[in-house]
Amino acid sequence: MRHGKYPFIIGFLAVPVALYAIFVVGAYLQMFRLSLTDWSGYGAFKDVGFDNFVKLWNDEVVWTALRHNGYLLLLLPIVTIAIALLFAFLLNVGGGSKGGMTRGVWGSKVYRVVFFFPQLLALALVAVIFQRVYGPDKSGMINGLLPDSWEPWLFLADENWALTCILIVLIWQAVGFYVVLFSAGMGSIGQEIYEAAALDGATRITLFFKITLPLLWGNVQVAWIYLGIAAFDAFALVNIMTVNQGGPNNSTQVLSMQIYLNAFKYSQAGYASAIGVVLFFLALSFAWLTLRVTRRDNATA
Amino acid sequence: MAKHDEGVVTVGRSRIGTFFANTTGIVFGLVMIFPVYWVLNTAFKPDSEVRSFTPTFFPNEFTLDNFKSALGEELFIPSMINGLIITAMAVACALVVGFLAALAIARFSFYGRKAIILVILAVQLVPFLALLIPLFLMLQGANLTNSLVGVALVYLVLLLPYTVWTLRGFISGIPRELDEAAMIDGCTRPQVFWRIILPLTGPGLVATSVYGFIQAWNEFIIINTLNNPQKQNLMAWLLYNQTERGTAWGPLMAGAIITSIPVVVFFLIIQRNIATGLTAGAVKG
Repeated sequence: MRHGKYPFIIGFLAVPVALYAIFVVGAYLQMFRLSLTDWSGYGAFKDVGFDNFVKLWNDEVVWTALRHNGYLLLLLPIVTIAIALLFAFLLNVGGGSKGGMTRGVWGSKVYRVVFFFPQLLALALVAVIFQRVYGPDKSGMINGLLPDSWEPWLFLADENWALTCILIVLIWQAVGFYVVLFSAGMGSIGQEIYEAAALDGATRITLFFKITLPLLWGNVQVAWIYLGIAAFDAFALVNIMTVNQGGPNNSTQVLSMQIYLNAFKYSQAGYASAIGVVLFFLALSFAWLTLRVTRRDNATA
Repeated sequence: MAKHDEGVVTVGRSRIGTFFANTTGIVFGLVMIFPVYWVLNTAFKPDSEVRSFTPTFFPNEFTLDNFKSALGEELFIPSMINGLIITAMAVACALVVGFLAALAIARFSFYGRKAIILVILAVQLVPFLALLIPLFLMLQGANLTNSLVGVALVYLVLLLPYTVWTLRGFISGIPRELDEAAMIDGCTRPQVFWRIILPLTGPGLVATSVYGFIQAWNEFIIINTLNNPQKQNLMAWLLYNQTERGTAWGPLMAGAIITSIPVVVFFLIIQRNIATGLTAGAVKG
């Protein structure tokens, strides 16, 4: 069996490894390289050492963007996972049990499809739809539903609330996927565990915290990382939905938007690459930290 | 609180709890579905009704004009064809390349295997936007900007991690004894891959191709950066069209519906298996 496996391995992996070497590793190397230049996006450039990073350190807009990414990073995973867990639980166990089988709330099959729906819509469409939902006059969906005597809410045009509006859309879009993911995880938890707990007199809440959550910890960990990465990105929504791409007055500015603007609007591709480098290290350290921290929690639990 | 009524075990069966659970479900379900419903509602209304300040929950006057005007747009059909070509190329290549790579990782042990797995996973962790500039440069150097092939190539790279990872999960689930039995019966190794593993990976291939289709069909940032308006896909066209013409919400929503149809149809076909497909890679070690 052993001899002659290398031709297969090499043959099977040559193409993907080559693609990665060029389009991923190569691209990152080039990004690192460009971050040390004053390249505008066209023509020649010269090396400027770490000037871009010094400039970045002193750039107030970048710090604002970073703060907004931090806000999303804090709230997006927590809220999404909480809602998704609650609903996965309701869909699977929430209806109580009959004949020893736990079951979901009434209509759980319908919910499964409904929750997954936003996942099918492209982020671009989600953004367009929510522009309509957030319409700042009476023809907007939410404002249209409010009583006539109320002043229309500004939503995305309001500096204080614009970023939260974006956060809500991110949650709306993500929740369905994690409901399905957690549901699958809950489905693989043995019925007899719930039965035993039921005989011991466990309530729904006890079931959730003492059985479901600990057994789903791995899934939650994965969800946390993916949602964190989504919070680092957030480009699509900010780009399409917000006033002036990151406005009003930079109140929805995020790092990915800064990369885009610097590279393709302000002709500062070198500087944009430097922001890209920062984003790269932030995202990787976030993933690494999450794995470290949650693993330790796991060990003590 | 467990009660035994007529031998039926019930968990936490308080009426209030059940009522609360059902109400939460309904309210949340409505919030999730409402924007989608509003799209449908807007798409079938005439323009005057869309702009009206008194919202109507059902079109007073039912019209297909919005769909006609979206379909009649100059670049709508070409963009749709572009999108289909790019998606088909990217998904087909991802399946072939991904399946072979997954085979190598799942069925052989070799030096560097762990490193490859790590790189596959790590790539997914970094926002792709950071790579937009170097990718643009590379494709420009290779004369592949403003081409369908260039975009398909980038999409292929984007789809590979998930494809390899999911298929690896499926292949690992097939017992090795099956391979060995077949080889004792005289199968060569390629025959084992082709006649045993490939058919058994069927559901995995369906799941990954659907995922790939959704991703590639819905992408718009990369294609919008690399290609000019003649070579966009439907999603990028929709956005481009929106900024160009202000907001004609009716036709825009109609366009959005048409754009979503392929994905929704795909989803409905495999709806039952979606959880299996999504989690296969994660569950099977």
